[in-house]
Amino acid sequence: MKTVLCFGDSNTHGQVPGGTPLDRFGPDERWPGVLRKQLKPDWYVLEEGLSGRTTVHKDPIEGDIKSGRLYLRPCLMSHAPIDLVILMLGTNDLKARFNQPATEVAMGIGCLIHDIRELNPGPGGHCPEILVVAPPPMRDDIGEWEGIFSGAQPKSHQLSHEFELIADSLEVHFFDAGTVIASDPADGFHLSRDAHDILGKAIAQEVINIGWAG
Amino acid sequence: MPDMRFAPPNPIRIADRASGMNAVSVRSYNERLVLSLLLQNKGLSRMEIGNRTGLSAQTVSVIVRSLEQEGLVVKGEAVKGRMGPPTIPLSLNPEGAYSVGISLGHRHTDVVMIDFVGQVKFYTSLPLPDESDPTNHSKLVATVQKALALLPNKQEGRMAGIGIAMPEDQEELALGPTGMAERFEAIGKEIEDALGMEVYVQNDITAAAAGESMFGAAKSLDDYLFFYIGARLHHRLVLNHQIFHSRTQASKPAGLIDLEQRLAASGTPTDMLWERGAAWPAFGEERSRWLQDCVAELKSSLDSASQFLPVSTVIVSSYAPKEVCVEITETLKSVCDAIDARPGELHPSPKALGAASLPFSSKFTVEV
Repeated sequence: MKTVLCFGDSNTHGQVPGGTPLDRFGPDERWPGVLRKQLKPDWYVLEEGLSGRTTVHKDPIEGDIKSGRLYLRPCLMSHAPIDLVILMLGTNDLKARFNQPATEVAMGIGCLIHDIRELNPGPGGHCPEILVVAPPPMRDDIGEWEGIFSGAQPKSHQLSHEFELIADSLEVHFFDAGTVIASDPADGFHLSRDAHDILGKAIAQEVINIGWAG
Repeated sequence: MPDMRFAPPNPIRIADRASGMNAVSVRSYNERLVLSLLLQNKGLSRMEIGNRTGLSAQTVSVIVRSLEQEGLVVKGEAVKGRMGPPTIPLSLNPEGAYSVGISLGHRHTDVVMIDFVGQVKFYTSLPLPDESDPTNHSKLVATVQKALALLPNKQEGRMAGIGIAMPEDQEELALGPTGMAERFEAIGKEIEDALGMEVYVQNDITAAAAGESMFGAAKSLDDYLFFYIGARLHHRLVLNHQIFHSRTQASKPAGLIDLEQRLAASGTPTDMLWERGAAWPAFGEERSRWLQDCVAELKSSLDSASQFLPVSTVIVSSYAPKEVCVEITETLKSVCDAIDARPGELHPSPKALGAASLPFSSKFTVEV
């Protein structure tokens, strides 16, 4: 049995559009759950989605714990050995408080990749395969979130390209979620139940495409 | 000391977001490796590509993704394996690249345009230009332009180049009018100037062998002996995909001229021999005797070669009707032990198709 770690934010947690972190799609509805059903029985799917998680930034308002970098290392160690790490982050880095361009968000993803490689939490002390998933762009209308995400929408459209450049240069797998799903209009950046279903199936296909011997 | 991990990204392969092919200079060895593999095989999964190239799964992932974005590679329908989840087969996109091939001959000039998987999109045969013609080859440039005009909208950027199969055999060149060889030599530059496209020139027989290796009967072969039956009988040795020919090696007379002379001696009309794609009439006894002699010639070459080299496969190519090549290969197999002989698969003009394979091998494969 192989192990895949889904490391992400509220859209990996399964937060219902327009809801709070406590409004969560069911275990079989959110994309890691869809992935689990698709890859059954060969894979063990670990869900590590935290609302508000950034790539590398300690959030001055929500707290240091929202830094993906801070939590990734103990998380990898807790779950090792891991065959595949899926990183789907970036949207929260676009909050006005961080004032980051899309290129810097991509650098943050790069930083996480380097951390994984330093730790080598794969089977036999090797590096796991890494799949970077670019989140779908935000909608222009994000309602009451406009203040927090002021200026984020155009940057969110650049994430897939910048993430792909980082994935290419560090030679990791890449998938652009925006090619199969869009953000839900209820709040403009979370995913509907249908979107989770489509995304889980698309990522399952990406996992299979990597090619796994044995 | 700066930590280079956090320097600006330096992608091994930045996918070109505009349509059209990237500059040749940036095509990496690994990309060529993957494209070469896909030229030989349809429908490989990323895992198979990784296993056969020795590239890591993540490197294959990066390369395949960029080739997909460039439109050179396409995903097929998911295939359900005997065990495990379905895999996605990858193949070259036929519309990903095109190429023109020109074969210059002492009677005809053949022009073809092919797509990335070797399918013929355009074919015509031009007569030799009149000696009074001021250009090196009347209608040739216009004919190539006609072929290019057939490309779907905005596909001009997908034209890999123009290949020319150049006759170099002195005996065959002597069959044409005075000055023909010099005109042929000048055609490459004339086309390059007129069309602004890259032109690749190769010996015609070598080009025909290269075509069989890329698209035809020799696709899966590393080593083989290649025979081309034109006006005369030509041969090439192919070892580990490399095509060898020595400057001193001459063609042999057992080609179509030999047959023509035998037929003429018995008063049979021979025009059909030189026509492209024409079925031969029943040439009778002369044909069988010529065929026997031709096979004897092939066998003798094969016997000589096999004293030094482990060659067990023979490809016999010609623009003559396919059944002639089939009969020759069948006869050859009946007189040689443990020899696999196959007719060439490039039609209607093996040399022109071979010429068209040249821009592809130069731009997309590792064997350059």
